[in-house]
Amino acid sequence: MNLNDWLDERTGWKTLKKTLLDRNIPKINWWYTLGSITAFLFIMQGVTGIFLAMNYSASPDHAYDSVNYITHEVPAGAFLRGLHAWGASAMVASVLLHMLRVFFMGSYKYPREVIWWTGVVLLLITFGFSFTGYLLPWDQKAYWATVVGTNISTQAPLIGEFIGKIIKGGSDMGTVTLARFFAIHVLVLPAIALAFLLFHFFLVVWHGISAPPERKKEANDEWRR
Amino acid sequence: MVSLDRSGSMPSSDLTRRTLLARITTALGVLIGVALGGSVGRYFLSPAWKLRREGWVETARLSELQESSPVKVNYVQRKQDGWTTTEGLRSVWLLREKDSGVIAFDPRCTHLGCPYRWDDARGEFLCPCHSAVFDRAGKVVSGPPPRPLDRFPVRIERDVIMIIPASAGGNINELK
Repeated sequence: MNLNDWLDERTGWKTLKKTLLDRNIPKINWWYTLGSITAFLFIMQGVTGIFLAMNYSASPDHAYDSVNYITHEVPAGAFLRGLHAWGASAMVASVLLHMLRVFFMGSYKYPREVIWWTGVVLLLITFGFSFTGYLLPWDQKAYWATVVGTNISTQAPLIGEFIGKIIKGGSDMGTVTLARFFAIHVLVLPAIALAFLLFHFFLVVWHGISAPPERKKEANDEWRR
Repeated sequence: MVSLDRSGSMPSSDLTRRTLLARITTALGVLIGVALGGSVGRYFLSPAWKLRREGWVETARLSELQESSPVKVNYVQRKQDGWTTTEGLRSVWLLREKDSGVIAFDPRCTHLGCPYRWDDARGEFLCPCHSAVFDRAGKVVSGPPPRPLDRFPVRIERDVIMIIPASAGGNINELK
């Protein structure tokens, strides 16, 4: 018996592979890869983020210096930091394009509505990552962009001030804000994102890829069997 | 690949489009994996190969060091600690030799790093932790130390005794 069969008897990996990778799909196009691209970017952000966090200090005294240390002193530090910073922008672009693809191909329709809803939550989570992550280098750009952003939140009617204080961790932006943003960026959002991602992926595999819309009534899906 | 074998030179293989694409995907995946994994590995493992660059530090004035027995001198050391600089009070045992050379002993016992003391009456260094005894030259007289007292490089510049507070041997000492 070979290794693959031996492992399959004990873990069932072949069934998993078949379910995830050998799925029947309709005739689609390269736009349909955007979902996977986004997922890949998310994993890359996670991995690079983990290692950046090993050399980062989330206090106003040392945040900037620690990022400098990563960029200039740690081997491959500049590369990892670059991947993370650019990866963030790439992910936002990718997730928006993916959303557009889903919208224009009508993939959000029955029975895939919940996939769309989880997708909306994931979009907001992505924005949360971007907003909290942006502050962490604690340079001029980071600081003032966050001041502006948190002040925008205070413009909400009635509860604006309240929301602002919750986000900032007080009346002003400072040490507590940075600590808070770091915890949200590294602990809270990854956990929530993971939960919603797993649900999102499960539903995609469960329902299968939808066919692009046609002018005629929807073609039969015998090819799916 | 399903192809029309017009040339007749190569026999058609069992390679399907599916298999070829799978192999290309795997190859690209390996490339990405190596690039990312290699960078991450370098980043994560780099502290193992980091060279600690120590500089010369001032300790005491040669003219003030008269005794012929070791003297414990305290000095301030500024050290690079990641992205911060720490300033700490450290000590060194300085011994002025008759031919005007100065020996600087690392104050950490070569057994497990405890700070030893000089006993003038016995003319020996004594370590309180495990009863190690060293002679005036740092040689082990008795006890568990595996080697004589470590010495720091010494340089005398305009009456000032300078040392590099990093000893060459022993891992335990590197923990500081």
